[in-house]
Amino acid sequence: MAVQSQTPNPDHNHDNDHEHEHPHAEISQSERPGYYDIMETAIRELLVERKLIGADEIRRQIEVLDSRTPALGAKVVARAWRDAEFRARLLANGRAACEELGISFYDDTQLIVLENTEKVHNLIVCTLCSCYPRPVLGLPPDWYKLKPYRARAVSEPRAVLAEFGTIIPDDVEIRVSDSTAVVRYLVLPKRPDGAEDYSEEQLAGLVTRDAMIGVIPVSIEAGGPPL
Amino acid sequence: MSQSQNLLTRLPNDIGGLPAEPIARVDHALEPWEKRCHALADVLDFHKIINTEEKRRGVEALGAEMVAKLSYYERWIAAFANILFQKGLLAPTDLARKMDEVAARWPTDPAGQ
Repeated sequence: MAVQSQTPNPDHNHDNDHEHEHPHAEISQSERPGYYDIMETAIRELLVERKLIGADEIRRQIEVLDSRTPALGAKVVARAWRDAEFRARLLANGRAACEELGISFYDDTQLIVLENTEKVHNLIVCTLCSCYPRPVLGLPPDWYKLKPYRARAVSEPRAVLAEFGTIIPDDVEIRVSDSTAVVRYLVLPKRPDGAEDYSEEQLAGLVTRDAMIGVIPVSIEAGGPPL
Repeated sequence: MSQSQNLLTRLPNDIGGLPAEPIARVDHALEPWEKRCHALADVLDFHKIINTEEKRRGVEALGAEMVAKLSYYERWIAAFANILFQKGLLAPTDLARKMDEVAARWPTDPAGQ
């Protein structure tokens, strides 16, 4: 059996095509699953029958995935802003510092934290696929996985940032870090002016997913993620 | 560089630096099967059955047409099937039979079979 699509599927994220919104019909139990949905169930059940994976492992891993959101990364950033020693440990070994805060690295990746300064603005990408600091940010947004961002972030980062409304002065260096299967990056954004008196929780509330990817700054006005 | 040389030096995933369209800030909540597929990828990695890099190469091995036409998680599950066949952990006929069995749990004819 060759694995190939035999039924049109409405949810195509064409990497080499236009991106588009994906309206999804309500999923109900009675609705027939699609071809690939059936394939996923079949593979999972065969692997469980053959004891290659445990019956409960998928459910448990879904719980892990659901527990990972940008709120974890925001907590790390806010702590780094308020605690210089933690910040130094975070920049020296991102994974170990996150683990101090109880964030486990279930996917066995290393984490390099990149600090934005007056002189340097960092941006993260995965040109080959969709590698992302999932233990601290959850799953990446679709645009991070699609061709325009992956292709252009490394060659014209200023133009890409401008599309997110972010204008970086010419005298600030832009560094783009390309993630791999085993090394992931997280941007430590600049602490915004005007937040000197904020508590750690208040600071964390300002830090968005996109700021930790590096496509927007953190600002007091624009807390709260797009999408 | 000629067009054919470009084909030689760039596999389908290797798109860093290529010209591309403006970024559309799209996202969607994962469908239940997509989330299960993601969890399956992690579990396969935990058991050292398929790691992240094997998965990526498995997607690339689907070829440019499938990479272009399948959605993100469709590519993943198709790649998992092929890698499991290659490793001798599943046989194509086993998967075909199991897919028929799964499809038969719904009242009408299985899609695409």
